[in-house]
Amino acid sequence: MRYYDLITPEGTKDLLFSECIVRRNIEDSLMALFRSMGFTEIITPGLEFYDVFNQNSEYFPQENMYKLTDNKGRLLVMRPDTTMPIARVVATRLKDAYLPLKFCYDQSVYRTEPALKGRSDEIVQAGIEIIGSGSRMADTEVIAAAAEALSGFGMNFSLELGHIGIFKELMSRLDASGKEKETIRTLIETKNFPALREAVAKISDSTLASQLEALPGLFGGEEVFAKARELFAGDASISALLDELEYSFHAASQLCGESGTITADLGLVNKTDYYTGLIIKGYLMGHGDEVISGGRYDKLLAEFGMDVPAVGFAVNVNAVEKVMVKTGNMPEMPKVDVLICAKEGFEVQALKKAAQMRREGKIVEIAVNNDMAEIEKYAKAKDITDIVTIDNNGGEQ
Amino acid sequence: MSKPIRIALTKGRLEKDTVGLLEKLGFDCTAVREKGRKLILPVPDANLEVVLAKANDVITYVEHGVCDMGVVGKDTIMEMGGKFFELVDLGFGRCKFALATKKGSDFYSGYGIKTIATKYPNVSRSFFEKKGMDTEIIKIEGSVELAPLLELADGIVDIVETGTTLKENGLEVIEDVAPISARLIVNTVSMKMRRDEIRNLIKLVEENL
Repeated sequence: MRYYDLITPEGTKDLLFSECIVRRNIEDSLMALFRSMGFTEIITPGLEFYDVFNQNSEYFPQENMYKLTDNKGRLLVMRPDTTMPIARVVATRLKDAYLPLKFCYDQSVYRTEPALKGRSDEIVQAGIEIIGSGSRMADTEVIAAAAEALSGFGMNFSLELGHIGIFKELMSRLDASGKEKETIRTLIETKNFPALREAVAKISDSTLASQLEALPGLFGGEEVFAKARELFAGDASISALLDELEYSFHAASQLCGESGTITADLGLVNKTDYYTGLIIKGYLMGHGDEVISGGRYDKLLAEFGMDVPAVGFAVNVNAVEKVMVKTGNMPEMPKVDVLICAKEGFEVQALKKAAQMRREGKIVEIAVNNDMAEIEKYAKAKDITDIVTIDNNGGEQ
Repeated sequence: MSKPIRIALTKGRLEKDTVGLLEKLGFDCTAVREKGRKLILPVPDANLEVVLAKANDVITYVEHGVCDMGVVGKDTIMEMGGKFFELVDLGFGRCKFALATKKGSDFYSGYGIKTIATKYPNVSRSFFEKKGMDTEIIKIEGSVELAPLLELADGIVDIVETGTTLKENGLEVIEDVAPISARLIVNTVSMKMRRDEIRNLIKLVEENL
């Protein structure tokens, strides 16, 4: 017990000095990008009712949410996600609003992660949502924003697209129990080829079996589409989904700039996702997990009583920050230009002088110590070269 | 030449088998064979860097992406879980998880809650959960066989290779839990960002298993 007053809970940390600047730079540049696209910011509460995240489809396992109770004993959670609260707001307060709504956000989400794994329980996510449009242009704009966000970090990146519809269509044709389907999904997600081969061997429809077996291997560049076309030849419904994805892929390739590559993966089939169509993942060289995650979620708002399509993505700001620090991609700390110290009785003049110099664009700090030797030591420690003393001459020394 | 692909190997038998496999592919593993106390070793002609680690750490390093690939037993994967691609069953390091009890005891009789001693609490828990059986699981660090002999536990869930240790201590396997072998795992981002290099290596490996 005794030392808990001196440390922070596991999975959280204090940020200091340049760490803060890196983080704020990332947030500021992302939000500036989103605002320049006409997205308006939304801020939702850090605390939500548990029920918001406990919909019929369990997107967030209860063991991964931080829970507490309000003064009436009702169960609350620290928001584990921002998309679902936005869906809640839109389906209630904005149900009569003119659609589409374009929102951006920049706030923390909280999830319990396994201990001692080096993961954060508090993650800042900055992202966008377009709510009330199922159009191809909405998908493409979101892809463009993701590509621009990634290239703004100044590192080599990869933007990956998938389409969960293909997997869902195949699953709807599979006559198997929920448990068996879940096994197959996990094996596709983890690209566990040997075990998947065994699992699909039990499927009587041999075409379907070979399609499911091939799905996790269908990732890479443009060649993925030729292979997929061959695999799903004559299959009208899946071909239509492939058309959609291929269009997005080509659009993304033209939008991603020089530092990025676009890839496709038909095996992106994560369990907790509420996605129904396009899936977007962003990767940075030097980070072992995705830094961008998003996609189309056309059924989520219906769970809150408003059946409209939507699409969006979020950037894991902590992850981007980690890569920047690791690769030495650090911004410089803004340096204090002038340290002003006031002789006794000249405090007001000193403060006025500081305000005037700040209007001229300088960073001006006031020395709060009276002893000149101490002030010089302080200036040295903070690497400030210019010290100005305000005394009865009103002048500078 | 681009940055080498880092592959974490589970120290010990899996490391030897993997090095054998790499040599079969025609790569010069002299540095790994004569490693001394070094933990990161180059295999220059394959543009690989071998990292030697304990089994659990192989998963940790691969999950974080500081190693692109890893060789680890299915036992560790089942116990630890994690986010990575589990691409290839390398076929070596074969053994199994099994449930063993004292010879002649009837494990499934009675309605009392059974106590299980194991080094693999997650594997044990999910095995009995699937059966809808409520059990008490006690984690043991050393020789798990002792627990039923000392009457701390009704049974054990452990890795069984030949079964000799069990036999010599009057225990017997009453049920197989899961087969085990070495797996080649890959970080989810490395798989995408270094696709061609990793795919080529995996193809070579699969052709030579």
